[in-house]
Amino acid sequence: MYIIGENIHILSDKVKEALTNRDREFFMDLAVKQVEAGAKAVDVNLGPRKKDWAEVFPWIIESIETVVDVPLSIDTTNVDGMEAALKTIKKAQPILNSTSAEPERLEKIPALAKKYGAKIIALTMGSSGIPVEADARVNIAVETLIPHLMEIGFNMEDLIIDPLVLTVSGCQQYCPELIGAVQMLQYSWDPAPAISVGLSNVSNAVPKENRPLINRVYLAMLMGVGLQMMIADPLDEEQNDVIKWIESKDTSTPLAALYNKIAEHTEAGEEPQIEDFDLGDPDQAAIWKTTQILLDKVIYADGYLNQ
Amino acid sequence: MPIEIPKDKWPGSVRKVTVGATAAEGGTRAKTVTVGGQTTMPYLQYEALTPNTPVVAIEIKSRKPEDWSPLLVETWGDAMSDPAQWAKKAEEAGADLIVLALTLEDSADDAVNAVKSVLSATGLPLIVWGPGQAEKDNDLLVPVAEATKGEKIMLGICEDKNYRTIVATAMANGHLVQARTPMDVNLAKQLNILITDMGLPADRIVMDPTTGALGYGIEYGYSVMERLRLAALQGDAMTQLPMMVTPGFEAWKAKESKVGEGVPEAWGDWAARGIHWETLTAVALVESGADLIVLRHPESVKRVKEAIAELMVTA
Repeated sequence: MYIIGENIHILSDKVKEALTNRDREFFMDLAVKQVEAGAKAVDVNLGPRKKDWAEVFPWIIESIETVVDVPLSIDTTNVDGMEAALKTIKKAQPILNSTSAEPERLEKIPALAKKYGAKIIALTMGSSGIPVEADARVNIAVETLIPHLMEIGFNMEDLIIDPLVLTVSGCQQYCPELIGAVQMLQYSWDPAPAISVGLSNVSNAVPKENRPLINRVYLAMLMGVGLQMMIADPLDEEQNDVIKWIESKDTSTPLAALYNKIAEHTEAGEEPQIEDFDLGDPDQAAIWKTTQILLDKVIYADGYLNQ
Repeated sequence: MPIEIPKDKWPGSVRKVTVGATAAEGGTRAKTVTVGGQTTMPYLQYEALTPNTPVVAIEIKSRKPEDWSPLLVETWGDAMSDPAQWAKKAEEAGADLIVLALTLEDSADDAVNAVKSVLSATGLPLIVWGPGQAEKDNDLLVPVAEATKGEKIMLGICEDKNYRTIVATAMANGHLVQARTPMDVNLAKQLNILITDMGLPADRIVMDPTTGALGYGIEYGYSVMERLRLAALQGDAMTQLPMMVTPGFEAWKAKESKVGEGVPEAWGDWAARGIHWETLTAVALVESGADLIVLRHPESVKRVKEAIAELMVTA
């Protein structure tokens, strides 16, 4: 699993504070921690920085590149800020995060990625928003995103498609469709485009204590359909266990076997079966309930585990 | 060639909920009202009969409201100043239940007196709403619940921010609660979980998923109700509750029904329009699975009940 570490994100209060104080050490430390935990790239999301982008983007890139050698993912809607970051990067091939199929973004951002030889994450989202159905999202990729990139002579190996994970708390019907989209995208083009998702979006607006479980179960499903790249928290050890168990087909413990079962069923286009779960074990019962909300079989509620 | 119509068979069903208690059951109501019990989507009578006819409540207030449409004031007349009289007229107009809405001006004694006078004036089951401010709701609903122990009144309105006190007094005094959430399936289910976690049996809860009037978001309300009902039939226990909505309140808030002046002439006759607005809002919600509809205008009550009767025809 290629993890783009998500922890440098402006929505975190600590990140916000460190940025205000221009605390270089904080960002260097957070980048190193993520890479040491296994992140293959580091996402940098400090928001659009409309006023101070010219100073902030080069500063953060320079700081982080002092301590890590991995690709940096420049995560902003500010095109000028993106370019300022691209100019600063000295080490690995960067990732632009992101363009969508909206005309204005699609016109500017892929051109920028091409100019600087960056990879690009392209969201399957058009001007009319994010479609629910898997095939509608795949259509945005094959009818809008890929043709445009080919037209400008973009190196298709540098394209990463993100079919957009949405939260189970409020956009529940999108959750099973995203699994379908990840599966279909791999057959949508030759050569198959790289696919990445923002995993933890699936648990946005979910009470904090329930988020990791929802992320892990969804991850097992997505790995089942072939997900190999994601923006996620590389410091989540239980999540890393699930990755390891599924990648090595480790079934030596009940939980490892269960997560592998979930991945296998999803790969086969089946739903997880209740017989696979020992519902007397609270951990397994919680995982079962989580599969049911993620597949939109049971309506999500914050207290779904207590039901 | 004979055509066989495919029929769905669902694993789940909606709970039955009964409002009101007769003398034999520890109350004073002349009759009770039972809603819910469905085993399939609304009015697919060929799949399974709708076991309980949806019911209509008429909303009255403890004091004459200042902000209601002049059309409603004209219709109810002087009765609006006396909840007992108003309740009687509502019963004559065909209500299956009375909703008595208390106001911010009421003291606890005023509230108890208003509720008691309505209980004496009519034999219909009763729903009592607080004025809609958490603290005041609790101040009024607790003494009301205590003074009417055993009547199986429905107390409202429980919301995410304020449900504990109302649920506790409903439990202690044998009443029911109305659980309202703002047009969101996840929140609707969550509130049901929270209320049952407190120990109130699920057959004493009616959920109110909130709605909008025709032209003001009714399609969102419709979709939420449809989704909740589908989940209930699929076996999701915390959605298996009957649903109530307040199209009267919503429709009479809309400019189209509330006012007759300063609107385009092409809109036509005001009174006809206002009643259409309420009726059409209500009937759409009945078709989406509403079990209990709260209305304001007697003519709308008549029309909605006719529409329900047609939907209940089985042959």
